[in-house]
Amino acid sequence: MTKTERWIHIGLVGVALLLIFALPSHAQWLNYKLATTPRTPDGKPDLNAPAPKTPEGKPDFSGVWRVNGYQYNIGKDLKPGEIDMLPRAKALYEQRRKSNSFDNPWAQCYPGGVPRAWLSPDPFKILYMPVPQVTVVIFEAVQTWRQIFTDGRGFPNDPDPTYNGYSIGHWDGDTFVVETTGFHDNNWIDSAGMPGSDALKVTERFRRKDFGHMDVAVTIDDPKMYSKPWTVILPFTPYPDDELVEYVCNENNRYPVSDTIKPGEIR
Amino acid sequence: MTTKLAVFLVGLALILPVFPALAHHTVVAIYDNEQPITLTGTVTKFDWRNPHVWFYMDVKDANGQVTNWGFELNGLNVLSRAGWTRSTLKVGDTLTVQANRARSGGPTANAREVTTGTGQKLLTRQQSTLQ
Repeated sequence: MTKTERWIHIGLVGVALLLIFALPSHAQWLNYKLATTPRTPDGKPDLNAPAPKTPEGKPDFSGVWRVNGYQYNIGKDLKPGEIDMLPRAKALYEQRRKSNSFDNPWAQCYPGGVPRAWLSPDPFKILYMPVPQVTVVIFEAVQTWRQIFTDGRGFPNDPDPTYNGYSIGHWDGDTFVVETTGFHDNNWIDSAGMPGSDALKVTERFRRKDFGHMDVAVTIDDPKMYSKPWTVILPFTPYPDDELVEYVCNENNRYPVSDTIKPGEIR
Repeated sequence: MTTKLAVFLVGLALILPVFPALAHHTVVAIYDNEQPITLTGTVTKFDWRNPHVWFYMDVKDANGQVTNWGFELNGLNVLSRAGWTRSTLKVGDTLTVQANRARSGGPTANAREVTTGTGQKLLTRQQSTLQ
């Protein structure tokens, strides 16, 4: 079997696993030890082992991850003035803070979008498919996904706006650079309610320095909302012995936002 | 106006880190940290579903009046990773619950800590498999 054939095989097995996602038992979803995970002599995942490589020799980001901190306020470590909101952004942010984010789209089971989906307390899984050169991210929260195309295509012309936008990636040395545009005008960049508009362009720079450490530098460039671009580096922790579990948000959601239901009247 | 906004933002920076976010909505929009309550009662229903697990409990007050309280937990995905299963709570179980009451004032609360009749404390937060 050639390297590429082996990767196609691995990809197909991954897709097969996704298709049987609806099995009721958690037994094989949580605490399932992958044979490919490097381990220390005591059997724990070796977080300092070298990062795995793709068939092309680049760092492979595949695996289950979760953000380490930043779940609420993406800008918490920036200095005053680094995020300079224009009047429209300030007004939206104040309104969202006043309601304690009650009307946030996630609470209505809409996708978190970019970069907010990274900030969920629920993990996500990155799958790299060398054929046809696409990185797929499946997010447990609200069961949404992103595709990052690396087959050389450009951005679509005048796309319909979406929650997750349209993502294309390229390599800068060992850093995977992903650019995304084509968003809705009512974006929430984090759970605190930092706004994004349809002019938002997100650039994400992925680095995996070893098996157990990945960070993504997220640059927000939105001339309708901020006077200048700003960047946050998000650290991620691996969940090497976990798979994602099914998460059907509409199954038992009590938080439709409407004129007749006020905060705290939900049961 | 600028001063007001500055005070608002500084205040925000001070309070934000103490607010844990539930999996898909923010706790503080619905529940009040200033209204902690501890209740003991009998489970009447355990609703093991996403995006948030709920359970309901009959609680008798000092006058013998019984009220059915609803308690919101994290999602079943988060609770599964904290060791819960769909049979962790059963109708008829006696529990003591520490919770934050809903801002509405109704018999609804966000459960922070659940203790079983045998004194076992059940985690309501996610643990990484690495910890």
